[in-house]
This record gives sequence, C-alpha cells and structure tokens, in this order.
Amino acid sequence: MKNFKIIISCLGGILLLAIMIPLVKMIISADPAVLRSTLADQEIRTSILLSLRCALWATAGCLLLGIPLAYALARWNFPAKSIVQGIIDLPVMIPHTAAGIALLMVYGRVFFLGRLFDKLGISFMGTEAGISLAMAFVSLPFLINAARDGFAAVNPRLERVARTLGASPWQAFFKISLPLAWRSILSGAIMMWARGIAEFGAVIILAYHPMTAPVLIWERFENYGLKYASPVAVLLILICLVIFTTLRWLAAKNREL
Amino acid sequence: MLRVEDICVKLGDFRLDRISLHVEHGKYLVLLGPTGNGKTVLLETIAGLNPPASGRILINGKDVTHLEPERRHLGVVYQDYALFPHLSVFDNIGFGLHLKGATKQQIRKDVEEMAGFLEIAHLLKRRPNRLSGGERQRVALARALVLKPYVLLLDEPLSALDRSSRDRVQEELKRIHAELSLTIVHITHNLKEAFSLADRLAVMKDGRLLQDGPPETLFTTPRDRNVAELMGIENLIAATASESTLVTALGKIAMEPLEYGTQPSGRVLLSVPSWCVELFPKGPAPDYLWQGRMKITVSRRLGGVVALTLEHDNGQCLKTSLSLREAETAGAPLDTGTLVPVGIRVQGVNWVPDQEPG
Repeated sequence: MKNFKIIISCLGGILLLAIMIPLVKMIISADPAVLRSTLADQEIRTSILLSLRCALWATAGCLLLGIPLAYALARWNFPAKSIVQGIIDLPVMIPHTAAGIALLMVYGRVFFLGRLFDKLGISFMGTEAGISLAMAFVSLPFLINAARDGFAAVNPRLERVARTLGASPWQAFFKISLPLAWRSILSGAIMMWARGIAEFGAVIILAYHPMTAPVLIWERFENYGLKYASPVAVLLILICLVIFTTLRWLAAKNREL
Repeated sequence: MLRVEDICVKLGDFRLDRISLHVEHGKYLVLLGPTGNGKTVLLETIAGLNPPASGRILINGKDVTHLEPERRHLGVVYQDYALFPHLSVFDNIGFGLHLKGATKQQIRKDVEEMAGFLEIAHLLKRRPNRLSGGERQRVALARALVLKPYVLLLDEPLSALDRSSRDRVQEELKRIHAELSLTIVHITHNLKEAFSLADRLAVMKDGRLLQDGPPETLFTTPRDRNVAELMGIENLIAATASESTLVTALGKIAMEPLEYGTQPSGRVLLSVPSWCVELFPKGPAPDYLWQGRMKITVSRRLGGVVALTLEHDNGQCLKTSLSLREAETAGAPLDTGTLVPVGIRVQGVNWVPDQEPG
C-alpha cells in the first residue's frame, strides 16, 4: 500500500512539475522593472483588456445558447444524441488554425451567412465580434460539457416533485435545476473564459488586428525576439492567475454556503 | 375520488398493462408488489409525470388524463424524499404555496401550522442535508400536505428508514390519514407495512394488477399463486380436485370444510399460512383438514421465534413457527430429525387455481 501511494504520487508529481517548471521559470526570470514598463505600455494594456473582454462576450453568448443544449443532453434521450455530443467535442480535436479557416469561409464575405451578417452591420473580419466568435468556437466544449455534467448530477425527481407542487416546466428549470447545476456551469464558464483568453490559432485567422494578447506575444517574438515577448507573456499569465484563482475561490466559497 | 380505468403505459421495454383502480375519499390504498414491477410508474402516471398510452384517470369525477402535473392537485412523496437541497426546510415546505402566489404572511402561517402538525417547527431554518431520515420524511410530507392535495401519493415512503424510524413514521401516517381524512395511495414491497396501513390492498406484478380488495380478503382468498406468494403465505400444496376430495402429496383431503366460492376443479393449490400448521394437535378432529407425522428438517431460532421446516415421507414440506414459550412447552425437543405429529387447521386454509393468470 505504501509503495503504491509513493509510485502514484511520484508519477503525478512529474506531470505537475512539467506544467509548473516552464511557467515558474518564466515568471522568476522576469525583471520587475521591465514588467512595470510593460504594464505601462498602452498597446499591451489594450491587447490584454481586449482578450479579457472578447473571451467574456464569447462565454456570455455560449451561456445563453449552451445551457439549454447542456440540459437537453443531460435529461433527454433522442436519436443521434451521441453524434450531437461528438459535434460539441469537435472544436477541441481539430487544429485551431483549421477552425479559424472554417469560420472564415462561413462568416467571411464569400459565403451567404457572412454577407447576411454584413448587411446587418456585423462583420467578423478584424473585429471584436470575429475574435469573440473564434474564441467561442474553440472553447465552448468546456462550458457545455461541464453544464451537462452539472444537470445530470441533479436528481430528476426534484424536478418531478416541483411539477407536482405546481411548477411549470420553466419554473422547475429556473427554480430547481439551474440553481443546483449552477456551480458546474460557473466552473465550465471559468474554464471557457480562460481557454478563450488563451486562444491564438483561430483568432489570428479571423482578426490579426485588433491584437489580442496572445497575438501580440507572437508578433513581438517574431519581430523582436524572446526578450520583448516574455514580459508580455508573464504579465498575461499573472493576470490570468489572479483572476482565475479569485473566481475559483469564490465558486468554492459559494459551495460551502 | 381517484379512479384509474384501463391505464396502459409504455416506457422503453417496460409496460403497464390495463390497470384499473378505484380509491374512495378518505381511504388508504396500498399498492403491494416486488420492486421493479411498475408501482412507481403507475404512481407517476397518476401524478401526470408519465403519459399513458391509453385509458383514463379521473379525480373527483373529472378526467385529468391529459392534464399537466401542476394542475392535478396531487401530492407526491418519493422514497428518497427529493427535498430541494438548496432551500431551507421552510422554503421547501413553502415552495408550492409560493408558486401559487400566496402572500408572504400566508406562506409563513401555513408553513408554521403544517410544521407544528408534523412536529418539525424547530427544523424550519435548517438545510435538508442536516436532517435525519425521519425528519426528511416529515418535511417531504409537510411540503406535499401544506397544499391540501386531493390525493397523497407515497412512493415507498418507509423503505429508506431504520426500523425504529419506520415504526414511528408508520404511526404518523396513520395519524395524518385519520386527522386530515386524506385519500392516500401508498406503494410498498413490505407486507407488514401494507397490512398495517391499508384499508384496501392492490397487488401488482410484472406491470399487471393481480388482485385488489380488503387486505383480509386478499390474504384469505388470494386469486392465484402470485397473490398468495406476495401475501406471504408460506405453504402452497399442489393438489388435484377429484369429486369431493383434493389429492395431495399428504394424501386425500376432504373438500367439504373449504368454503371458497366455487367448487375447485383440476389442478389447484392449497394455501396454508404457517399459523395453520400446528405441532402436537390437541383440538377435535373436525378442526383439522389433515393430521399425520412429519420430520423436522430445519429448526432455526430467530429471536423470540423458532422457525421450523417439516417434511412428510412423500416429500411434501410445510413451514411453521412457534414462539419460544410454545417451543419449550411443546412436549418434545424440536431438533432437526425429530418426528412430530402435525395438523393442518381448517380455519385459514383455502384453495387457489394452480396456473398463471391469463
């Protein structure tokens, strides 16, 4: 038993170190003075805020459309359910640059859908809408899968009892299922937001400008080298760490209540 | 009050087959049957949670077959109570009142009144995860009862409780039924629970209703082998009716003393409750259908009772039990292998057709 625990801990520890070492090395190598001047750089501040904002729009949009789909997947049995589930997981599996090209073909001006949105005054080429769309496309499985698991964990009898107590299907959903699945949905939303902020491949195809933080890091690395790219990367990592640690702490605190 | 007419339900591979029931106002109906035989499906169909393929459900004479569950005015209490874990006990009980648009004052008054009636007033601020099984049961009952339902539907309400809580809640159900003149449909697989509570008993197996009626009638005159077994009748003796006698492995038994509707014919089963099997029979001969000697093959002490299995030379087995006191004063040791005189009392024995119902 003792050996079993030691081997399991060692194998897990190796993986944790593989994740932590590059991040910690990058952070401790950063010169605080350079970090301060990076933070003062207007272009960098704008790109970080753009990343945070677009990922937020993407998450909000997917919350609206994804929660009903997650509920249906958790509660109903219907033909081709496994195919629907596969479609949801697809964005995780395909290369994100390929996803960006696919989005460009549909939402660009060569396809009717892109032209339709264009007529409505919404363009996805080089706009915040395009960045949000690319972020949503590649990160929505995180939200939908977490929300589906959250709904599946709610005892269906709670909804059934609510119906016998006078609740309509909508009231049973909003008063019982949604509040009980909310922690999982929130956790999925945090994951989706984080994944959205980090997205590079799909975003760069749809919108090189305005530059999100990952695009800016890549641009500085290409043009000026590691020395100029790493402070931006460190700053983005630190900001993300602070935000997600706070959100996870709030979610955990909510669980204890 | 509640009438179920020829209800058929199909859920995947399972189906309920032409169930008909009638429960009068203020009566306590217990649906008895093995687990997984359609009792909960029937209960949920009555509540409007499963659509029937055919048939009708009437409440107070009104056809509610296609009415939404929230408009049927029925209360449901599940085996696992299904309390809303994110709401306090107060909010659980007041949930339905809130949906019906009651004022805050009215909700407070009704919830406190019901909590007082069920002696859970001290629990109102707690969350369900901080309640015992018995307390959860009371909260679930309060949540259903506060809406004054036409019929209260109970799905195995005692099965998740330990023995002492079960006895207490059983008495509580009797009190609620009596004091509120409530119509109750209660499903269970527990025979003692069924006999303790039922005004009327309905026996289900494999999605079919086998028999319904007063509990005593089902026990003394079960319609077939399934009902007899579900009624807990320990001894079913195969017999062939021949003129005025029943030919069994124990020998010929006169039919005359059996008073059970029509004359038996062909293959039948004698249903012999264990209390009809008497060791060292002392009564007058006409009190017994059959007397003979049997060997004790199993003698097991179960708390204050000695359970015996007896075997005749011809291979027919009978089960019976005695209290410890009866066993001590039996006149002979009741050890395995002992040959003892046995009598089957007339009173309590009946015959049932030995075939599966069509």
